[in-house]
Amino acid sequence: MRELELYFGPQHLGMVGNFSITLKVEGDRILEAQANPGYLHRGFEKLMEYRTWIQNFPMVCRINVVEPDSMEMIYAMAVEKLAGIEVPERANYVRSIYLELARVGSHLFGLWAYANMLGFDTVAQWAMYHRDLVLDLFEELTGGRVYHIYIWPGGVRRDFPPGFKEKVVNTLHSIGGCVPDYDATFFNNRLFYERANGIGKITQEQAKQWGATGQTLRATGMPYDIRKAEPYAAYDKVDWDVPTREDGDAYSRVWVIRDEMIESVHMIFKLLDVMPEGSVYNRVPNPFKWKIPKGEAYVRCESSRGELGLYMVSNGDDKPYRVHFRTPSYPNGLIILEKLLKNASIADVGNIMISLYVVAPEIDR
Amino acid sequence: MNNSLRQKLEATFKDIQVSIPEDSKITITAESDSVPAILRFLKDAGFDHLALLSAVDWIEDDCFELCFILTSYMQNDDEVTGRQRLHIILKTRIPREKPQFKTVIGIFPNAEPYEREIHELFGINFEGHPRLTPLLLEREYEIPPFRKDFDTRKYVKDLFDNIPFVEIEEK
Amino acid sequence: MDRNQITKWLKAPAKMANKYSLHAIYFCTGCGIIEIPPVITSRWDAERFGVIPVATPRQANLFLITGYVSVKTLRAIIRTYEQMPEPKYTVGFGSCPINGGMYWDSYNTIKHLDKYIPIDGWIAGCMPRPEAIFIAVTHLWTLIDKDMANGYIRYRENYKSYRRNQELALGKLEWPPLFPVSNESQGNVQ
Repeated sequence: MRELELYFGPQHLGMVGNFSITLKVEGDRILEAQANPGYLHRGFEKLMEYRTWIQNFPMVCRINVVEPDSMEMIYAMAVEKLAGIEVPERANYVRSIYLELARVGSHLFGLWAYANMLGFDTVAQWAMYHRDLVLDLFEELTGGRVYHIYIWPGGVRRDFPPGFKEKVVNTLHSIGGCVPDYDATFFNNRLFYERANGIGKITQEQAKQWGATGQTLRATGMPYDIRKAEPYAAYDKVDWDVPTREDGDAYSRVWVIRDEMIESVHMIFKLLDVMPEGSVYNRVPNPFKWKIPKGEAYVRCESSRGELGLYMVSNGDDKPYRVHFRTPSYPNGLIILEKLLKNASIADVGNIMISLYVVAPEIDR
Repeated sequence: MNNSLRQKLEATFKDIQVSIPEDSKITITAESDSVPAILRFLKDAGFDHLALLSAVDWIEDDCFELCFILTSYMQNDDEVTGRQRLHIILKTRIPREKPQFKTVIGIFPNAEPYEREIHELFGINFEGHPRLTPLLLEREYEIPPFRKDFDTRKYVKDLFDNIPFVEIEEK
Repeated sequence: MDRNQITKWLKAPAKMANKYSLHAIYFCTGCGIIEIPPVITSRWDAERFGVIPVATPRQANLFLITGYVSVKTLRAIIRTYEQMPEPKYTVGFGSCPINGGMYWDSYNTIKHLDKYIPIDGWIAGCMPRPEAIFIAVTHLWTLIDKDMANGYIRYRENYKSYRRNQELALGKLEWPPLFPVSNESQGNVQ
């Protein structure tokens, strides 16, 4: 049979995000795959060296469009560590609730992409609708649907508006009440099992060797989660479990996403019950003329796709000296994708790519 | 846990400096020749996740600084709570003229795209790397773009602002 | 009725069919893809305006360029735009294609998209709301009615300038010119 070179390119109905894979195929079987990132490269880390510490806040959330909140959190954590700023207690709880809502929204987006890829259009429409309800909550809290510049070094920008707690509880109850429908239509569906079982299988040893974190690793049986390993914000104040599965294929990864969403919703209810009163913001004197003392820091948090880290070097100036983001889609999209696509069939490319949850702007920055 | 690791490191390797600035971080500064041996030692000690391989351009000191950041996946033994919260930053300096380094893919296979990216953005050559082709950039630049002497605003002014708008012929 | 009125009356159904069924090509070019799935799914339904996403450029007549455009993406955008059949309309989405936006000093993004392909309308915002997209679609209908949405005609007539700008920004282009760019006049018969 003849060898062909195909482009699963940037303009493709199955590609979410601007990313491209070059495939060498023979018939229906892929011989070799090569990932081509770079369509969304803006040189973020270079641009951040030209702007002051405060001017970087609106920039930082645009690195990852699907879940901009974990980017704000990681930047605020790094600045607080370098400058020695304390965060009040209530702000930690508010940050945790905010990040868990973002996690629910991001997982619903991933569910839309995955269900659309497999052809389950009904479930995709439901997931996008429920994500829009979560975005309505964000709009009430911060003023913007997608980019909310809410986390600030020293706390969060404003407290919950009156009546917000009841709105959160009502929205999450209405989403949670649809879980039996989701289960019956998609997660317990025989077709989903046939399409995804055994596809893109990865063992625990391989996952650790290739640097995988997040649900790629938790689907192989290892309960590694930064929120338990190195707790930040208010994650060590409530009782919760890390969901895992055993098999390590696409089926297990999507089930881990579902379990994580349910766990996040329970965690938000528990956090809302035990939240203390107080201020949410420690005033930082004159942030426009900040000079952060010399030093370096590496902070990490758990975004919805895995371990998100930031290595920041400061020279004592009013601008950062070097900023480097360790994004979770980097090993997933560049190493693991190429290794898993060998000897797969063309129909499974989207399946593997979206179950690994590769988000293209994170790779290019 | 930190102190025992520090003693083991200082006993095994000569001329490295280990410092513990805070509870969850160890900083090691070493020469560029002994870095692979230190990495192998740390990997056997349980730090098996290369989280990040980064480079910093110290233009006043006339050198590049490569930083290896290692963390640990969970292990099932008694030292687990100490080791999990710890991350190790291993730094080494290489000269700015003709920067070279040996690849660490043999120890950590997931270093491959990090080295490719540093090669095209800083110009550091990694010997032994199987595929040093462009990853993110689309064209060649005279000075690699993340170095401190590349002025991005001047580049934009010279290239993009000089392209004229399209003159529409009135009919 | 005289001849001009008959022509206008015959063209009206064609325009109506054209504007009420704008098929948008599914190309996620930048940041703005995060507002496209809400727009095409059931909450902010775009199909009641006639806009649905299609798979290939050969079947599309609306190109929504969502977000900033990097140099590598510009190559893909020009190739996609040139494959679309006429009449075709482009809309720039977000504030980055207008004048560079937040990344005005980046070495890898282009600043004014208007210099490389013709644009019929802009939507400001970062990100624009779904309602802003629908207002833009209704404005595009008005422009189509008045024969002012003529980006593709401008491209055909000033192709030499567009091609020169594309070559200045991207270097060597791997595809031949879409319309003839010879230096002699077009009327020469060889």
